[in-house]
Amino acid sequence: MDFGILSIIIFLPMFVAFTTLILPFGAKGTRNAAFLTSIVIFALVSSVYYNFELTGFLQFREHYTWISSYGINYSLGIDGFSLIILMLIATLIPSAYLWLWEGRTKGYWISMLLIQTGITGTLFSQDLILFYFFWEAMLLPVFMIIGMFGTGNRVFSTIKVTVFTIMGSLFMLISILYLGVSFFNEYGFWSFSLNDIVQINNLTRTEEIWLFFGFMIAFAIKIPLFPFHTWLLQTYSNSPTGGVFLLSSIMAKLGVYGIVRFVMPIFPELYKEFAPIFVWIGIFGLIYFGIAAMMQVNIKKMFAYSSASHLGFIVTGIFSLNVFGMTGAAFLIIAHAMATGGLFLLVGKMEYDLGIKAIPALGGIAKKAPIFTVFFGIMLLCIVGLPGTNGFVSEFLIILGAFGFSPTAGIVSAFTVLIAASFMLWMFQRAILSDSGNDVSKMTDLNKKEILGMLPLAFLIIAMGIYPDWFFYKIEPTIQHYLLDILQIRN
Amino acid sequence: MADLLLSYIALAMILFSIGFLGIISRKNIFIVYMSIELMLNAVNLIFVALGRYNESMEPQVMAMIIIAIAAAEAAVFLSLIVVLYRNKKSLNSDIFNVLKQKDTANG
Amino acid sequence: MDNFLLAWIVLVPLLSSLILGTMYLYSIKVTKIPNIVFSMFALTAPFISFVLGVSFFFRLLENSDVIIYRAYKWLSVDGYDIDMGFMADQLSIFMVLFITFVGGLIHIYASGYMKDDDGYGKFFFYFNLFLASMLLLVLANSPIIMFIGWEGVGVCSYLLISYYYQDSENVKAGNKAFIANRVGDLGFIIAMITMFYYAGSNGFDYINLELGMANVPVEVLSFIGLALLIGAIGKSAQIPLFVWLPDAMAGPTPVSALIHAATMVTAGVYMVARFHFLYDMIPNVGLFIAYIGAFSALFAAIIATKQTDIKKILAYSTMSQLGYMFIAVGLGGYSAGIFHVFTHAFFKALLFMGAGAVIVALHHEQNIFKMGGMRRKTPLVYFTMLIATLAIAGIPPFAGFFSKDEILLTAFGSGEYFIWIIGVITAVLTAYYMFRLLFVVFHGSNYKENRELHSLSKNMTMPLVILAIGSILAGFIGVPLLLGGQNYIGIWLEILNSKALHVEHSIELYLMGLNILAAVIGLLIAYKKFFNYDMSKVPEYTGLIWNKFYIDEIYDRIFVDKLKKLSIFISYKLDINFIDKIVMGISNGFIRSGNVVARLQSANTRMYAFSMLMGISVISTYLIIVMR
Repeated sequence: MDFGILSIIIFLPMFVAFTTLILPFGAKGTRNAAFLTSIVIFALVSSVYYNFELTGFLQFREHYTWISSYGINYSLGIDGFSLIILMLIATLIPSAYLWLWEGRTKGYWISMLLIQTGITGTLFSQDLILFYFFWEAMLLPVFMIIGMFGTGNRVFSTIKVTVFTIMGSLFMLISILYLGVSFFNEYGFWSFSLNDIVQINNLTRTEEIWLFFGFMIAFAIKIPLFPFHTWLLQTYSNSPTGGVFLLSSIMAKLGVYGIVRFVMPIFPELYKEFAPIFVWIGIFGLIYFGIAAMMQVNIKKMFAYSSASHLGFIVTGIFSLNVFGMTGAAFLIIAHAMATGGLFLLVGKMEYDLGIKAIPALGGIAKKAPIFTVFFGIMLLCIVGLPGTNGFVSEFLIILGAFGFSPTAGIVSAFTVLIAASFMLWMFQRAILSDSGNDVSKMTDLNKKEILGMLPLAFLIIAMGIYPDWFFYKIEPTIQHYLLDILQIRN
Repeated sequence: MADLLLSYIALAMILFSIGFLGIISRKNIFIVYMSIELMLNAVNLIFVALGRYNESMEPQVMAMIIIAIAAAEAAVFLSLIVVLYRNKKSLNSDIFNVLKQKDTANG
Repeated sequence: MDNFLLAWIVLVPLLSSLILGTMYLYSIKVTKIPNIVFSMFALTAPFISFVLGVSFFFRLLENSDVIIYRAYKWLSVDGYDIDMGFMADQLSIFMVLFITFVGGLIHIYASGYMKDDDGYGKFFFYFNLFLASMLLLVLANSPIIMFIGWEGVGVCSYLLISYYYQDSENVKAGNKAFIANRVGDLGFIIAMITMFYYAGSNGFDYINLELGMANVPVEVLSFIGLALLIGAIGKSAQIPLFVWLPDAMAGPTPVSALIHAATMVTAGVYMVARFHFLYDMIPNVGLFIAYIGAFSALFAAIIATKQTDIKKILAYSTMSQLGYMFIAVGLGGYSAGIFHVFTHAFFKALLFMGAGAVIVALHHEQNIFKMGGMRRKTPLVYFTMLIATLAIAGIPPFAGFFSKDEILLTAFGSGEYFIWIIGVITAVLTAYYMFRLLFVVFHGSNYKENRELHSLSKNMTMPLVILAIGSILAGFIGVPLLLGGQNYIGIWLEILNSKALHVEHSIELYLMGLNILAAVIGLLIAYKKFFNYDMSKVPEYTGLIWNKFYIDEIYDRIFVDKLKKLSIFISYKLDINFIDKIVMGISNGFIRSGNVVARLQSANTRMYAFSMLMGISVISTYLIIVMR
């Protein structure tokens, strides 16, 4: 039993974090170590990507006993859905590091490294307790980063997001334990492995519904779905750039991932039964948050709403119960992570240079920073869903999926093309383009490192829009597997 | 024999009640301490009386242990009282209230 | 076969625009690149595309089979493939030819018009990107690829309209254009998805869709047709989504010429013609299109009669002419519609470019009543503008006459006399407002006699001449049989199955005469009112028509304000005061109840002791009772 590549991907950042913590590294040294780590991880992930076989089943399995008396194992594995999120994380994090290059403390970098461990661990876990462990472990450094390096009423934001997510997690933990006990009652030995848990048959319908919603609340808060979204605004607005970047582009997506990874196989029947509710919650969120974003003055809160709007759309996709919707959702996860992540980095820079985040106090930035504006424009058009960017491919597929689910849902969800365009362009006009007489002379254009960091995102956004199929083929078997084997839906 | 036992027990209960009343009514920590000792000895008395009644040695042993522990306790207690007095220059038990719940600001 | 060249028609402008964009950023960041380098890349692109288009034109002439080139598999989901495919048939190649030709001329013109602008490179970056999108729209072999071009056109028009982005009014105009277009796109997407589910099982390209449509119930087809129509209305600025077109004149004049005359706005007409197989099956929806076209034509013509901004007059005239095209395609006269698209491209581009030349000469003055007497100052511009005006008014033998005549004939021949009457009235109005413009700008007494005129470069005048020749000749590809001509365009666009008309020759002749009469009446009224107009007083217009029937204000009231209010309500009231209150209420509830319980912790040791005793007594009493 050798130590597998997935474990290295998980624990390398943590190892680096603790090493730099003990050794007398300064902020610069830690940053360089962190960047190097993220590059190494990118290389490892790339090798995983190329060695990934085109099947819908779990690959790169690793299995060690952790707490044998309760059947809790250290069990890892990935399938196509995790693979693309993994690839996304590996691409985004070095970019983000390049953007955060200057002026961060050692604690900031160590927190970032620890978050990376938490995220990848969550992504690979195939054991419910292990998943829960990483799910919580991922949050702690986030709280640190918001509470220590945030702006505004940061401590309150931290407490709010903590209480929100911990409460959700609590429901999930209770559900996990209940499932474990049920498994023990039925089979006579303990196990929390996903493969075993899915074989539980002795639950009554009422029990199943309670457990289903126990899981769903945890994930809905993380995503966030309407009406669990109120933590989002303050947190996004008060977080430092790195924190909001990770929260919006990766962690929110892990909520969706959790639904697909755990809720769907454990409760396939309920998943199908409650799909209409979640499709409509998603569409409702899409429109509700979209409208809310229009008049929002704080640019980060506006992106928070915009993010929530798109995540609602992703949820619509994964509950649409057909290949189009689910592939579209997977694709939108990537598209949105890149675009929103990029936008938050750009806005973070703007905030760093000018110290403001209110839209009316901005303006005239295009003249001052043309390259900044070009990248801003690309990310924005991706959010808007312009053909030629991956935003369009995913939105189109989700609308197709929603239409396949029910024509009304499809038609209503098509309004996404209108909503995002209106608030995004209006914001673009006021904050970036028009010269509104505000003093923006401190705004600097992107330096070489920042361009280098943003280029992969911009390139992928366009490449995935022009040649989407090349990015699709690794994930499609997994989606087919979900639909045919787990949900047992045939088209 | 049983009557005699009953009067011992009654005496012990009276002593115990006096001790308890002393704890809840007096503010001086010394008097509270003496009341506690009184209650302890009331219990001791019951032990001894019942041991004699049942002709068993175990309660007697227990009583001896309690006396020994009470001595140790007295040493600890008196030193604590000295420390408390040094901090507040008073032996009024009501002013030692740092653990009291204060109303939080945001309700 | 060299079918891959089809993709290069789109790729050449695309690559050129990417090169230009990179060069532009380099130029502003590192060292300045002279305009001539930009021009070199910018102007060759439409030329190469045009040559490629011509080569395909000759191939189609030899062999009328559709040429399809599949570049790569764009998307493959669930065993369902959508290719990045290009299709050259008679319709698309016809469009390619005049888009690249007129587009190329406008490029040349723009190189003169923009030569002093700092953003020269950026301008051509947008311009070529726009051209690439338009060509993709036309050459696509499936609706979804067409949609890529369709949206690309929309976003490029956004970029070009808000070209002078520092002024927020221009960006607002750009936003308006983009969002009005997006309303249309919403319709397009819905139509596309419905088509996908109902007719797309064999494949999503036009050929398979045509086959797939055969078994689809007519209600669904009508739904698809109407949804597509929303898209066409948005792009072609018809009622009720026309509001963006007049505002779109905020862009530089070459932009107006390229986007809002020759190419982008015709995309809606092209789409209806492209989906002719669909609209053939749902004539009622077609009739609806024709009515929208007729009303838009009349409505725009009425507004145009009272406008004073030279570019806005032309914008409304564009909308009006597009209305004619919609009448034609709605009634099944696809070749007539496309014919008008073709002739319109020449004379409208010419009009805009002439107007641009006047505007430049007068140092960016746009009010026609502040011009006057330009005939002597800029004779070349005057003559070319005169030709274009005659063409748009429908005076034979200029281009507009033949195409407009064919459209009105289609309306009459289909028995839609009401539409026909609207068409004729619009023709009168068209002649009136166009000659009003011409007379006021070129003939009236000079507004300010001795002002210096900005000189016009060769780059700006040469395209005018070419387009003027085009405006004279373009009509001759569709001379009606009646006049001993040969309707080449009808034959070339045979694949569209345009509706055959059966109108007696004598009636046809009368109708033709009537059209000429209409134009002449309009001309005469304009002559009477505005020839040698006294320019010393600038007329003050008020009233309903001058204010464009208050449509903008109504939209603002109904949609924009309501949406803004709703948005403020949600994000500042509902979320903060209601949903967050619930959540915070729960947490505050815990804190409050905690406070209540914590009161018991009074730090009174004697109290603790007492409650302990009480507790012990209660419990022991209870236990004694239970033990019993």
